[in-house]
Formats: sequence, C-alpha cells, structure tokens
Amino acid sequence: MSRVIRTAVLAVLGLFWLLPVYLLLVNAAKSPEAFTTKESWLPTDFSLFGNIAEAMRLSGLAESAASTLLYAVVSPAIAVLVGAAAGFAIVALRLKHGFAWFVAIFGGTVFPLQMILLPLFDAYSRTGLFDTQAGMIAVYTAISIPFSAFVMRNFFSGIAHNVFEAAVIDGASTWRIFARVYLPMASSALVAIFILQATFIWNDFLLGLVLSQSDTVRPIVTSLAGMQSTYGGAQMSTVLAGGLLVSLPTVVLFLFTQKFFARGLALGQY
Amino acid sequence: MTTDKTLSPQALRQRDQYRWSALGFIAPGVLVVAVLLYLPLLWTTFLSLTEYNGLGDPEWIGIANYVEMFDDPGFIGSVLNTLLWVGGTLLVPVGIGLGVALLTWNLKGGTWLRLPFLIPYALSGIGVGVIWSFILSGGGALDQALAAFGVDDTPRWLVDAPLNTVVMILATAWQGVGVNALLFTIGLQSIPREPLEAARMDGANGMRLFRSILWPMLRPLTAVVVGLSIVASLKTFDIVQGMTKGGPGRDSETLALTMYKETFVNSDYGLGSAIAVFLTVVTLIASILYLRQQLSSKHGV
Repeated sequence: MSRVIRTAVLAVLGLFWLLPVYLLLVNAAKSPEAFTTKESWLPTDFSLFGNIAEAMRLSGLAESAASTLLYAVVSPAIAVLVGAAAGFAIVALRLKHGFAWFVAIFGGTVFPLQMILLPLFDAYSRTGLFDTQAGMIAVYTAISIPFSAFVMRNFFSGIAHNVFEAAVIDGASTWRIFARVYLPMASSALVAIFILQATFIWNDFLLGLVLSQSDTVRPIVTSLAGMQSTYGGAQMSTVLAGGLLVSLPTVVLFLFTQKFFARGLALGQY
Repeated sequence: MTTDKTLSPQALRQRDQYRWSALGFIAPGVLVVAVLLYLPLLWTTFLSLTEYNGLGDPEWIGIANYVEMFDDPGFIGSVLNTLLWVGGTLLVPVGIGLGVALLTWNLKGGTWLRLPFLIPYALSGIGVGVIWSFILSGGGALDQALAAFGVDDTPRWLVDAPLNTVVMILATAWQGVGVNALLFTIGLQSIPREPLEAARMDGANGMRLFRSILWPMLRPLTAVVVGLSIVASLKTFDIVQGMTKGGPGRDSETLALTMYKETFVNSDYGLGSAIAVFLTVVTLIASILYLRQQLSSKHGV
C-alpha cells in the first residue's frame, strides 16, 4: 500500500479513536447547569476547574488521591528492591535450586486476584489491617514482587558472572556487591518495573473495593467508581471531571515514559 | 538452563560459600509472596469445600458448592459471557493492534500516528467505564450521532444482552489496541533486514510478504500477545462492574463478577471460593500457552 494511503487510513482511524477523549473533555467542562444529556457533542462553557474542585470535594477524591500516591510510590519501590534481591540470589549467588525458588515467587502472579480476596478480607478484618494504609501497601507490594523478580532475574542473567567475581576479589561483601554494583547497573530495568507497577497500582479497583472503605484509605479508582454510582445521574459533568482527574496522572506518565513501558513489557515477556 | 552439571567445581565451591547469603537475599520475596498470596490461595481452596458465611467455623461439605455452581443457570451464563470476552478481545484489540502496527511499520511519522491509540492505554477500567457509560447511555452521545445520520431506532446499548457485553468488549478494545500495536511494532522492528530485502527483490509485496516472512517471524510474539489477552480477559471485572454491574439481572456477569457477588454481596463464602477455584483452573490452563514461551530455555538460570 502506498505511504499516502497508509497515512490517511491511520489518521482517520486515529481521529475516530480520539472522539471519546473529545467527548470527555467537552462534557467534563460543562457546568452542572449547562450540562444536558441531549447535546453531548457541542461545547457550552468552560467550568472544568470548578467541576474538578467539586469532584474532589464529593466522595473524598482528594484524600483518596493522596493515599493512592503513597501506595503507587512505596509499594513498587519495595517490590523492585525485593525482586532485585531475589534475582541477585538466583543469578549472581547461584542459589541452590534457584529455578525452583524463582518459579515459587513467579507463581504468585499467575492466578486471578479472586483467589486471594476473601482470605485477605477475612484476615485483614481479624488483625485490624482492614481499611488501613499499611494493609493496602502490604498487598500492593506482594502482588508487585513476582513480576519484579521475573524481570530482574532476566536482567541479571545478561550480566557476565566475571563482574561478580571481580568484585569478590576486590574484597566486597555480597551486600555491597548487590547495592553498589548490581543495582546501579540495573537502574533502567528498575525504573521500567517501577513505572509499570505504579500505573497498575494507581489503576487498581478490586483490592481497594474489598480491603478498604474510608475516604482516607480507599484508592482513587475505587472512589471514582463509588462517585459514579452515587452522582452519575444528577451530576454527570462532575463525575466526568472526576474521571479526567483520576486518569490524567497515569496517561501523562505513560505518554512521557513510553520507552520505559515498552522496555518493561519487553523485559517481562522474553 | 544451567544445571548443577554444567557448573565447574570452583563454581560449586563458590556457591556453597554463598549459600546463607543467597537464602538471605531471596527470603524477603519468598516470605511476602508465601504469606500474602499462597496462604490465602490455599485457604480459598479449602473454603470452596465448606459452607461458611464468615460467622462461626467453616463446615466441610465436600464438592457440594461445585455441584451447586454448575446447576446454576446464572453461572452458566457467566461462563458464556466470559468466553465471549475471551473471543472478542482476541478478535478486536489484538487484530486491530496488529493492523495498526503493520500500517505504521517503516512509515514516516509512524510514532505520531500511533499516539491516539496509546492515549487510552493507561486509563483504569473504571475510567474507561465512566467515559463509555456516558457515551452509550440512552439518548447519549452515540445515539445523538446516529440520529444525525437518520438512525433513530437505536438499541439500548447497555441493557440488551448480549449486546451490552459486545459494546463493553468494544470499549475495552478502544483501550487495548494501542499496547498491542506497540508490542507488535517492537516485534516488527526486531525482524532482521536481510530476508526482507531478499523477499522484496523477489517481488514479494503486501499479503505475500506478510504471509511468507512477517507472520512466521512474528509468531513467537503473537503467542505471547494472545496468551496475555486470554488471561486478562478471563479476569475481566473492573469495566463490567463499572458499566453494568453485571446487569440487568445477571445478564452481563463475568466469572470474576459472579465470584465477587456470591462472596461479598451474598456472603456465600464457600460458593464464591468454588467459583474462584474454577476461574483459577481455567486461567492456569490458558497461562500455559504463554508461560511456555516466557520460561523458555534461553532465559534459564
């Protein structure tokens, strides 16, 4: 096919793809008085910031945002370090039965979350972890570790073992070799995993739905879902503004770090 | 995979020397995963064989929950909906993703032309649901657009089954095309130049080039994309909960949603657990398709 036709087909399809984004922006900007369900395609006024402020007030979206930021930073940070340590033990320290240990950790990611929801809910309720930030961080960390260990093991496999031996001859301890030699070499992979997992955690709905309830602990997507069912009828433009607010961070992060994303996905799959 | 046999005596000595240290490095990962993922998994498996509502103690009833599950027409409907999700998300987002990747391949400005498809990728399922519920609501943006073209008698997109599942699959496709296109693009870029040039010299073009060179070379990657897509669609929850809550009635429920409802709405922990086990078994079987690829020998320890 000629280049012109290819470009034209892609441009038309791309514009079509952007229509929902256009509708979101136009309608999230309508003041609740101007908004009607009959005229969705034409802009009326620009009350986007007022709507966002209102959305943050309703359903405690502002508090949720702060907590979710905490989860999306702390959990992947712990998970990349724990995963890197596991990869280091298997590859550099040649842990006995390393492959079996690896499968044991990686196996934690192959089954659906449904398999752990109820016992976690039960155990969290009994131990006082239900509806706490510590409880949310713990579960998000746990589900991030398998993928992190998987990628880091693959990454460290690409580093020649001479590097480790040279550091040993220099008299470095294993901890020092890990922290000063292996981690710095892996920084791009660590960042890739961090970004992927932070996005995943920011977008989580199900764990937040089951393991939290208060505005201050509940993750932001779960809050948005609650807001949609409570105010979806009467204040649709506010809900759309809330949707925009919730979605913006991950969309922007993704568009600016596409290379890292692609790298993370590629590292995870080969 | 390097086994014990291929390590030199010196390497084996060295390994013994670091045994405790290595265990120390792997311990945090193993402990966290064991306590927060594997213990709950075992407990769910046990609960699936009991009658339990959260009060008192679980009472052993054998496979009665599984029998009840397969007797329930709602559950069968849920299985069928889930199958529709699996087939639909393979056909639409993976198919269009491959199409976009092929169209942008070696095209000037291809990165920019791919961008519109990538914007929805990082949205949450609930975010996608909020946008599309609005567009698909009765008399909403889609109905207005159709009316402008003279189509007035539109179906109730989110109410009529199985249409509601189909439109939710399309909403998911809107989100998923970009990442599939990105993955296929990475695959296309990794194809060596020489066989392509040779095929072009021989006059292969368009479909022939695709069938004889591109498709065979993309096959390993396609297996991964297909596997990921199947596994993800089996777990479909967020978007359905966000758009229809599985309704009207139970018409658009997926397995993940049925499990959630039985467990957390009806407090039938045993039945909910049985559905979770069933979903897990199906997912594991599907996972083998791509795990074989992921754990292939070239990345062994």
